[in-house]
Amino acid sequence: MAQSVTLPSEQQYNYEVIRKFTIMAVVWGVIGMCVGLYIALELAFPHLNLDLPWLTFGRLRPVHTTLVIFGFGGSVLFATSYYVVQRTCQARLAFPLLAEFTFWGWTAGVGLGALSYMAGITQGREYAEFEWPLDIAITLVWVSYLSIYVATLLRRNQPHIYVANWFYLAFILTVAILHIFNNLAVPVSLTKSYSLFSGVQDAMTQWWYGHNAVGFFLTAAFLGMMYYFVPKQAGRPIYSYRLSIIHFWALIFLYMWAGGHHLHWTALPDWVSTLSATFSILLLLPSWGGMINGIMTLSGAWDKLRSDPIMLFLITSLSFYGMSTFEGPLMSLKSVNALSHYTDWTIGHVHSGALGWVALVSFGSIYHLFPRLFNTRLYSQTLIYVHFWLATIGIVLYITAMWVAGIGQGLMLRGFDQYGNLAYTFTETVEFLHTPYVWRAIGGAFFVVGVFVMVYNLVMTLVAARREEAALQAKLAAKLARA
Amino acid sequence: MRHENIEINAALMIVLILVVISIGGLVEIVPLFYINKTIEKVEGVRPYTALELRGRDIYIREGCYLCHSQMIRPFRDEWLRYGHYSLAAESRYDHPFQWGSKRTGPDLARVGGKYSSAWHVQHLNAPRSVVPESIMPNYSWLLQNDLYYKDVGDRMRALRVTGVPYSATQAEYEANVKTFGKDIADKLDIGAAEQNLLEQAKTGNYDGNPNKLTEMDALVAYLQVLGTMVDFNKYNAGYFAEFR
Amino acid sequence: MYYDWLMWFTRMENSKPLALVLFFSAFCAIVLYVYTGRRRGERLESYKYIPFQDEADTPDSHFRKVTDDERENN
Repeated sequence: MAQSVTLPSEQQYNYEVIRKFTIMAVVWGVIGMCVGLYIALELAFPHLNLDLPWLTFGRLRPVHTTLVIFGFGGSVLFATSYYVVQRTCQARLAFPLLAEFTFWGWTAGVGLGALSYMAGITQGREYAEFEWPLDIAITLVWVSYLSIYVATLLRRNQPHIYVANWFYLAFILTVAILHIFNNLAVPVSLTKSYSLFSGVQDAMTQWWYGHNAVGFFLTAAFLGMMYYFVPKQAGRPIYSYRLSIIHFWALIFLYMWAGGHHLHWTALPDWVSTLSATFSILLLLPSWGGMINGIMTLSGAWDKLRSDPIMLFLITSLSFYGMSTFEGPLMSLKSVNALSHYTDWTIGHVHSGALGWVALVSFGSIYHLFPRLFNTRLYSQTLIYVHFWLATIGIVLYITAMWVAGIGQGLMLRGFDQYGNLAYTFTETVEFLHTPYVWRAIGGAFFVVGVFVMVYNLVMTLVAARREEAALQAKLAAKLARA
Repeated sequence: MRHENIEINAALMIVLILVVISIGGLVEIVPLFYINKTIEKVEGVRPYTALELRGRDIYIREGCYLCHSQMIRPFRDEWLRYGHYSLAAESRYDHPFQWGSKRTGPDLARVGGKYSSAWHVQHLNAPRSVVPESIMPNYSWLLQNDLYYKDVGDRMRALRVTGVPYSATQAEYEANVKTFGKDIADKLDIGAAEQNLLEQAKTGNYDGNPNKLTEMDALVAYLQVLGTMVDFNKYNAGYFAEFR
Repeated sequence: MYYDWLMWFTRMENSKPLALVLFFSAFCAIVLYVYTGRRRGERLESYKYIPFQDEADTPDSHFRKVTDDERENN
């Protein structure tokens, strides 16, 4: 019967939950990025707030960040980590029912979170806006995730744990700790709580969380992805396994110190911000070590960049990773931070990492995963190229606009006239920001259109797969009937 | 210990990862709770009154912190634009802190008393009617929504658990009288929270409509107290630098 | 007191260089461990082929031959 179509890997590994997470990743990506584009337009054209509470920038911004970080990024990580851990351990995923629970729990948590922000229910902590009942639900999902992951590791048919799994494991453990400590709060009702800490301690806890959400959710875990999908797609092993060991320990150690650089020149004591800046600069070394390790995997096979658009996604993402991990330490210097902090330069920096690194490496991995999960071939190679160029042009427009906006506003705000008075009012800088804001929205639109191209390509892949399978079934049925 | 053992022993690896990631946070966060100099010794900083607290809740609900900071840095341009740099003490009762990370609009740490309440009402209701270049959304519903204040006592009780000195007992009340003086201690009494809230809204008349208690009343009351608690004339210019 | 020596650690000018020495020597130890020893190096580098051992007889398996050539080059 149809068994001949099924690969051995289908029986060996659990793909069901991975398929679900992959599809939801794309769905959250589309919604989250469209919301991002909308709020970018709100900043350029404030009438788009439409006088509706749930559509204002202040309420939609957490919807955007939550959907892209936790919805899109989180689902990609669940999908790829379940895929990688099974394949590098050559073992089937542990606790399949619990794995289903992580899918439904995570998806519901992200969706309810987004709706609650539009209703004005929020903790008022950036990237940790979920109110306490959702925090508890997320904790349950996360503990399940950890136990599935560790149990699968313990089942492995391979003495050594492959390095990609180290990164995923560090990500799961660290995010658990960050999430729990940063969300300590005293509830008033189901929809309102007050954080346990206040003022300066609260600020440091929040940015210890905020920075390491970037460091572990958006970096360490995606590096785990890189260590599997880059070699796999290239058909060559990673450049240096020994470098990956040093990369791992140095990265997870140094990242945890760097959070204070979000609070330079504030009421945070100087010793903390100096320490954070020092470690932020040190962080450049493991970051670039990892980037070099990834890119040099192609050493001797650079022609793959010309023939394989998926490889193009993966290697370009590493280049953006290198760029934004150079920009980050630069911005953590107190003198640079004095100019860049509170401006759009920060927004641009985040997006060169989030779009350039996280999203591109995710797209590359999704293109790699999709045909394997659904046992078919991708609908169109050309559309992957189209997606790649739309995304890259979008990112370049976006970050350039933000450099202009951020550095421009920073310089205007600190400008003095010849008598020592302020050269510009704040309002004049807002006026100046309009043009870069329009360009940012155009860049964002390019990126979103690219995502829609991917969605079309993936949907057509599924349609074709369905058609092929139906044809095959019909053939078999006809054969049987003749017999 | 051989690294090989780490690579093949998942439990050992988990423990090592936990140790390695804990060091940074422990060294940077824990001392902030114990080093006395972290928060300046300064008079005047008090918890928010019931009405201001409700205003702060609305500030958080609308996500104001995503475009406005409440943290003035020690630079000349910020001093000219916003005033004295912010002290850690000034946000010691802020659960959560609202220092912000982005100034799409100006800093609000010392906005209290800078504009009249009538200006704030007009500006929040339709920002472009007073600042044509503004890109802030219209917050027109603040004037229409009645302020819900029945649970303000619960809110203060929750904050009391975190350590904010709202008083629930006579002993706590007397301690507040000693620290803040009788006038303020009365306002921090949880038992009289609703009554105090109504009274402050009535005397303050923040939204310009004495017959209606709206969310605008609370939010403007909060904005008008921001940064006004410390009297900087009482301290030498160099005093606060000692704490940095 | 017996514990007076502990006070030495609470002074920033002592604990800072101490921490620096500890962390830096840990880093050096890891680097030395990883990059010394020919056999250890070969063992560690052999792990990079794990991603290619996931399926016994699928199109992926031919990549393993490519990677084996790689090993000789290194």
